Amino acid sequence: MTGFEHTQNTKKNAVLVVGGGVAGITASLDLANAGHTVHLVENKSHLGGQVSELDKLYPTDHCAFCPLWTDVKKCMEHSLITVHTLSHVKGLEKENGNCSAVILRSPRYIDEKKCVFCGRCEKECPVGAIHSEWEHLNPPSFVIDEALCTQCGNCTNVCPSDAINMELKEEEIHLLVSYVIWATGFKEADIHHLKEYGSGTHPDIMTSMEFEEWTAEAGTNRGTIIKKSDGAVPANIAFIQCAGARDLRMIPSCSAVCCMHALKQAEWVKRRNKGIDCWIFYTDLRTVGRDYYRYSLRDFEGAGINLVRGRPGLIHPLPGGKGIAVQFENTITQKREIRRFDIVILNGNIQPSLIQLRSEQSEKTVVPQINKEGFVITESDETPDFACGFGLEPADVAESVIQASATAMRVINKESDQW
Amino acid sequence: MANISVFLCKCFGEIDNTVDFDFLRKELSKNPSIVLISTVDSLCLETDIEKTVSRIKESNSEKVLIAACSILSRGNLVVESLIKEGIERHKIGLVDIREGCAWIHGDDPAGVTKKAKDLINIGIAALQHKELSDDMSVTVHPNALIIGAGPAGLAAAISLAKTRFKVNILERSKAPGGMLRLISRCYPGNEDASNKLEPYIREVENNPLITFYPQSKIASIEGDTGNFTVHFSSQEKDSSIKSGVIIIATGAKIFFPTGLYGYGEIKNVITQMEFERQILNGSLETKKPVFIQCVGARDKKRPYCSTICCPISLKNASRIAEDVPGASVFILHRGIMTPGNTLEKYYRDTLASGVQFIRFEEEHPPRIIGSDHVESVEVYDAITGITRKIETDLVVLSTPLVPNNDNAQLAKMMDIEVDRYGFFSEIYPMHPLETKTDGIFICGSARWPVSSDNSILQGKAAAMKAVSYLRQSKITASTLSRVPGLKAGHARVVTESCTGCGNCVAACPFNACHLEKMEGRYISVVNMMKCKACGSCVSVCPNGSVQIPEHNYRMVGEMIKMAF
Repeated sequence: MTGFEHTQNTKKNAVLVVGGGVAGITASLDLANAGHTVHLVENKSHLGGQVSELDKLYPTDHCAFCPLWTDVKKCMEHSLITVHTLSHVKGLEKENGNCSAVILRSPRYIDEKKCVFCGRCEKECPVGAIHSEWEHLNPPSFVIDEALCTQCGNCTNVCPSDAINMELKEEEIHLLVSYVIWATGFKEADIHHLKEYGSGTHPDIMTSMEFEEWTAEAGTNRGTIIKKSDGAVPANIAFIQCAGARDLRMIPSCSAVCCMHALKQAEWVKRRNKGIDCWIFYTDLRTVGRDYYRYSLRDFEGAGINLVRGRPGLIHPLPGGKGIAVQFENTITQKREIRRFDIVILNGNIQPSLIQLRSEQSEKTVVPQINKEGFVITESDETPDFACGFGLEPADVAESVIQASATAMRVINKESDQW
Repeated sequence: MANISVFLCKCFGEIDNTVDFDFLRKELSKNPSIVLISTVDSLCLETDIEKTVSRIKESNSEKVLIAACSILSRGNLVVESLIKEGIERHKIGLVDIREGCAWIHGDDPAGVTKKAKDLINIGIAALQHKELSDDMSVTVHPNALIIGAGPAGLAAAISLAKTRFKVNILERSKAPGGMLRLISRCYPGNEDASNKLEPYIREVENNPLITFYPQSKIASIEGDTGNFTVHFSSQEKDSSIKSGVIIIATGAKIFFPTGLYGYGEIKNVITQMEFERQILNGSLETKKPVFIQCVGARDKKRPYCSTICCPISLKNASRIAEDVPGASVFILHRGIMTPGNTLEKYYRDTLASGVQFIRFEEEHPPRIIGSDHVESVEVYDAITGITRKIETDLVVLSTPLVPNNDNAQLAKMMDIEVDRYGFFSEIYPMHPLETKTDGIFICGSARWPVSSDNSILQGKAAAMKAVSYLRQSKITASTLSRVPGLKAGHARVVTESCTGCGNCVAACPFNACHLEKMEGRYISVVNMMKCKACGSCVSVCPNGSVQIPEHNYRMVGEMIKMAF
């Protein structure tokens, strides 16, 4: 086990952590290691959040999987942490200094204890409603997408261990907690309405998380870089930074992670296929962490990645499948150019997931007080709300983890204030 | 040779459809140490686990080998359930014949069975020779030592004191506060630094759980996780403290750009810190200041961005622009580094306050015009391509934070690392405050340049990490593993054959090996609290005197024999 098991001190107040990404996992582990009971609510079928979608982490270029997996595993096995996957917070009411929370847990339709992860149901499903979201996910099991399922029964017939139970119903879990930590992370925003980026007009205009999934070693193409449109190897790739971000029409804030993310993706494109030209169109190349600036220097000098300061004015597909035209001005040389690219990656359009959650399903899910950019407001003493990770302030993995630990400490300190 | 029972999992056909189980049973029955070969439909289901346990207990086997799926999928579940049933961990072996065998070689039925047979034989050889590491535990001293009383150290100290742990703070200077005492306001909230610092200092002075040692200097640090002893002098008096955890919050120092942009020769070329001092003592008089960014940073000598200089310039520039009527303020920069929501907003607000920004490139740095007094600054504006001459009465140089000179020395005392620049470095980006030695944490600008707000945040985070150690009464060496469920063990020295050559001492990346005199000769001794079972010592030992019992020579040798 983790080594930080506490048999005493278990009477400490329970904490509800919403979001099972790195921030939520770290906050949960820290609190549990200090003897608090933690309920971790995650709306996907597995823990890991956005990091589980990443291929490599900057600036070390190590896999994202190993360190994440160990922490996820510690979380799953900790005696003081209860993990609620496929769940969301339906109700939250403050009473007598405590908070009563209602968690709505959607059925997985597959019994995690019985599923042997053989994958026959996934193969047998005619509509593709059964999937595992991550290969090494915890718990190792599949999930049935209720919206797609036609109740044909094929999966029930092929399941060798009778793990599939379509009778399962939504479950309401009532919890009494003292504090809530929102670690709800980010989502990619839709930038269709910013016409100049051409989002959605061509299959090879992707968002950066789409590209990550498309090219990751554990992703669709197992680490090879090809075009979505025809499967051919691209000659060049354009990374468009601040697409929708630092833009008063859409996301006014800087997303903090995209510059390094693009540099990392360009680096890995080069490692996998030296022949592909990479162009990064940036506004300010924000490389503030340890070794981040060095990372960008390496790209400048060695690998042949072109860094252009400027935001393209127009991105549009060329007729006849001839690629994508990017019209831009290099603001350092003051030259205006139109270039043809095979793949265009839109980077930076990420925003706190709460802002989308609030607009999409406000009647179903509780959302804490957020400001107009979508970040949680934690100043007021009235609410028991805390926040960490991207939901509080744009942050990369290291920053999110620091925020999570600091938030856990604040929760513990707040409790001792009351004594 | 111990008696072994082997359990072959069919996994409902996932394995036995491709692997020939009859052949496997026939081959395995040739091995005299196997007393039971049992085939099960699916080992990981609860009912089958019960059956398996009763079968193991009926047979007279001492060890169990499970041939099923990967430890990453369901295999660990089986192992953990067997442990729950009272079978010791080192007596259970797990061989993956599903993911790594049946699934990936499905098209080669002959080869897949042979591979399964080999894997099981290797597993049996491993199980036969596997030994168990010794273990040790340390009683945790329930108090913390914090080095440095800047915002990070103070935040950590107060968080820990609120959690009811005794805290000792060692500080190099006379008073707590660190760099916050040298500046007027903090970004991005623009609150007075002294106001921000005041509650912290009050707490340090009044909280009985916090002891503050001014003017202190660390002489040496010994001991392990949970039980460090720090020898130091404070106000010229020597003393020592025992401590469960150590938090390093020593901060960083300011780079003085002597010789750059005429600093040191021209009177009205000052650093950002001198600007702050002039605000504090009220001697600042400027109407046309020019701020120059990245002075001594992001160059060949210091190839890093110091994170805080851009927001500091924004803070000071907008202050002049707002407070001084008719002021004309310029910031000459190489890209404004304000990541995030709050700082980006701070940047936009500064733009709105009338501060003008000119971007220059590294190849064309601004030029100071004037001999003993700057009259103007000439800069090539990279965006417009025009060289501009800016009249000025004060040039403020934004210089980076640089690591303290004694970082490497301090790091050596604690067996932790500094990075290529000299800042303390973490063990892994996903655990940004933890170091190579468990129980020692880094925070604030000692780790990497950060703002005062982030220093406070990191101080609290480091305190959190410390609490999980301090709230335990005892720490056991074997539980310090970072990977749950995969205990790697610790190196063990055979004292009879050890020649005391010291190869292992040199090779150990965690400083866990050292030489000790015993019965007139030197032998190597392994500190189990530090050993991470990496095996570096094993590979350099000339006569096999140091071993990791879980992966000992004989075991690995027998495993290789089985494979070929």
